[in-house]
Amino acid sequence: MAEMHAEGGADFDLSQFYQIFFEEAGENLDQMEQILLDLSLENADDEELNGIFRCAHSIKGGAATFGFADVAELTHHMESLLDKLRRHELTPVPEMVDVLLESADASRSLLARHQAGEQGEAPSTADLVRRISELASGRVPEAPAERPEPKPPAAAAPAAQTPPVASQPAPTAASGERELMVRVGPLEDLSSADVIKELFRDIPGLGTISDAASEDTSCRNFRVTTSASNDDLLDLFAFHVAKEQVHISVLAGGDIAAASDATEEVPYGFFPDAPGSPGAAAPTRAAQAAAAESPTPAAHKATPAKATDAKGGAQAHVESTTIRVAVNKVDQLINLVGELVITQAMLAQNSRDLDTAVYQQLLAGLADLDRNTRDLQESVMSIRMIPMSIVFSRFPRMLRDLANKLGKKVDLVTLGEATELDKGLVEKITDPLTHLVRNSGDHGIEMPAERLAKGKPEHGTITLSASHQGGSIVIEVKDDGRGLSREKILRKARERGMDVSDQMPDADVWQLIFAPGFSTADVVTDVSGRGVGLDVVKKNIAALNGSVEVDSSEGYGMRVAVRLPLTLAIMDGMSVGVGDEVYILPLSSVVESFQVNNDDVNTVAQGSRLVKVRDEYMPVIAMEKIFQIPRDSSEKSSNIMVVVESDGSRIALLVDELLGQHQVVVKNLESNYRKVPNVSGATILGDGKVALILDTSSMVRRARH
Amino acid sequence: MQSILAVDDSPSMRKMVAFTLTGAGYHVVEAVDGQDAYEKAQTHDIDLVLADQNMPRLDGIGLTRKLREHPKFKTVPILILTTESSDQMKQAGRAAGATGWLVKPFDPNRLIEVIRKVMP
Repeated sequence: MAEMHAEGGADFDLSQFYQIFFEEAGENLDQMEQILLDLSLENADDEELNGIFRCAHSIKGGAATFGFADVAELTHHMESLLDKLRRHELTPVPEMVDVLLESADASRSLLARHQAGEQGEAPSTADLVRRISELASGRVPEAPAERPEPKPPAAAAPAAQTPPVASQPAPTAASGERELMVRVGPLEDLSSADVIKELFRDIPGLGTISDAASEDTSCRNFRVTTSASNDDLLDLFAFHVAKEQVHISVLAGGDIAAASDATEEVPYGFFPDAPGSPGAAAPTRAAQAAAAESPTPAAHKATPAKATDAKGGAQAHVESTTIRVAVNKVDQLINLVGELVITQAMLAQNSRDLDTAVYQQLLAGLADLDRNTRDLQESVMSIRMIPMSIVFSRFPRMLRDLANKLGKKVDLVTLGEATELDKGLVEKITDPLTHLVRNSGDHGIEMPAERLAKGKPEHGTITLSASHQGGSIVIEVKDDGRGLSREKILRKARERGMDVSDQMPDADVWQLIFAPGFSTADVVTDVSGRGVGLDVVKKNIAALNGSVEVDSSEGYGMRVAVRLPLTLAIMDGMSVGVGDEVYILPLSSVVESFQVNNDDVNTVAQGSRLVKVRDEYMPVIAMEKIFQIPRDSSEKSSNIMVVVESDGSRIALLVDELLGQHQVVVKNLESNYRKVPNVSGATILGDGKVALILDTSSMVRRARH
Repeated sequence: MQSILAVDDSPSMRKMVAFTLTGAGYHVVEAVDGQDAYEKAQTHDIDLVLADQNMPRLDGIGLTRKLREHPKFKTVPILILTTESSDQMKQAGRAAGATGWLVKPFDPNRLIEVIRKVMP
């Protein structure tokens, strides 16, 4: 074996594990936050407390191993507090949840900074550490009064910065002093540790010592305040008790490095007569085999234990059945499958006219290829699908903080969290949804007193739901707050010089809140300067081929429904022909199509044309005009209309023929060419020709305004 | 080639340990917690067990206790990785039948050094 061993003292590059650690720490922080938010203080469950502890413990271990000392220090303090909670030495109080949540946030920022290559100023955690230490020592700190002050001007900051310990000492400890918990034991006679107390009395300047509770009856615990190092203390104590019997942990002040001084001396050890211990006789394979062949009665008892911890069991199961893959690998796979779909479509088209009798086998093969390609495409697309719970999970925390800040009471209900959505869309929908949820909490839900006065329950409810509807996903944000006021919106719109009328249908009035600069705050709460740019929300959603619908009833609440395509990479399209060109319309926006007579089309001012479809007039867009398609005079003119809808408005597109419906692989035109008006992308057809995909929402917008 | 069962619920720690040991010429079997390790120990030939102490389902000391009940593991060295080298932990480890302990965080070179002491 020896020849296989690497040279001792080799340099190990741990940086290759950083990414795994960052992801793991992120998951641990998410999990910690989740449990903290669900934690019922009166009735905290051991499993939950152990779960949070394990998250902090795991992050600390990794951070210390990979050299992220700031994260290790903060999580070390969190762990100490959590350890006391899980041992029931302390009772959980709301301040603990607050400080742990804030510490989780701070850990995230610290980790993000390391991940970004130490760029930017590291957030200070001194205040958090102080609050955690006070809570861990059984005191409730005056947290709100001593929240971190607003940051000093940037120029002054570096000079003003002092080491965190000195700037935020624990209340009982003077500068440079640390508050320690010293455990001595196990002892035959507990009073033998009294000599340690005498040391503090006899040596001036060593510090103070007092008895502390110990959960272990064979050990003594002391609370010590001192500026001496762990090593000095251990040396002093060594006159009276064995070094191994002393364990020092830091309660406040100092840092983790100092805390581990004591253990630095003995980083590992062996039990003298334990099996395999270097002290014991080296076991031989033969001895092991012999032992294995003569099972003792105990062996029969040693059946694998059932997993008692259901949560832990599920986690382990998930871990062993999933793999982490870089997103770009998945994207490349999707791209290749896209190409394959196109190739398959070309083969299908080219083989259409083959004689089935002669090419029977070839055609059977092509039919198989068709089916397999479709299945493959579906499976590959599903890789990118992630559940909405990923997005929803951020809202409980956000609403909790928002409600606390505003003094409101808000319950969050989430439905359809398992609904899956393309990863790319999930990332892009998160911000607009956050806007909407915040808006509901901020402007929709009333203050508790106001709600009670209106006969509503004191707690407002915000409901987030996701569901699949056809080829779309619909995400709803609903609240039971004060709702929108039609009169106020119309008044505000007139003040801004917008063209509105009292007869406008509700749906059109609600859409006004998405107009640029139209703050809902002005309308709903009259709190100026706090409006959320809903126009940005709408624009972001429209950029994803999505739409927003609003429904509201004054005094009863508001519902915003965001409708999105399931994926951006493939869409159902309807191909239409104009002249020699083929265009693709997103099937989701097509309402109907019909043959039109010239009499049905009316020309109004400036040559605009309108068509009346079932008592509704809508603008007519001649495709040959907007795309300037050359025509021979002998050719027939377009006489088929396709009605498309976007944002609740409809237009009729005039085309030559309807060619069919198919799934198309969307290729970005902007990144390959440039942005083209009225076009959202391009695709390659079965015959190898390129067809443009029409941006129906922008066409509708242009035509209606 | 000697086989080491590396048990840790933290993927980054587990990968780091596995990488270090593989580089030092050992065959590594990874397990995500004590229960997983116990199951893998039944089906693999293991020469040494390196177990984290704090894990869901079954912790390092619990794993040690269960492995020692099994004749196949009566004499296999078992090292516990722990962040606290408290006496309480050491006594529990000793009572369970562990061979020794190694304090986390540790340097990869230290890990190899300790393993070579147990498994020359």
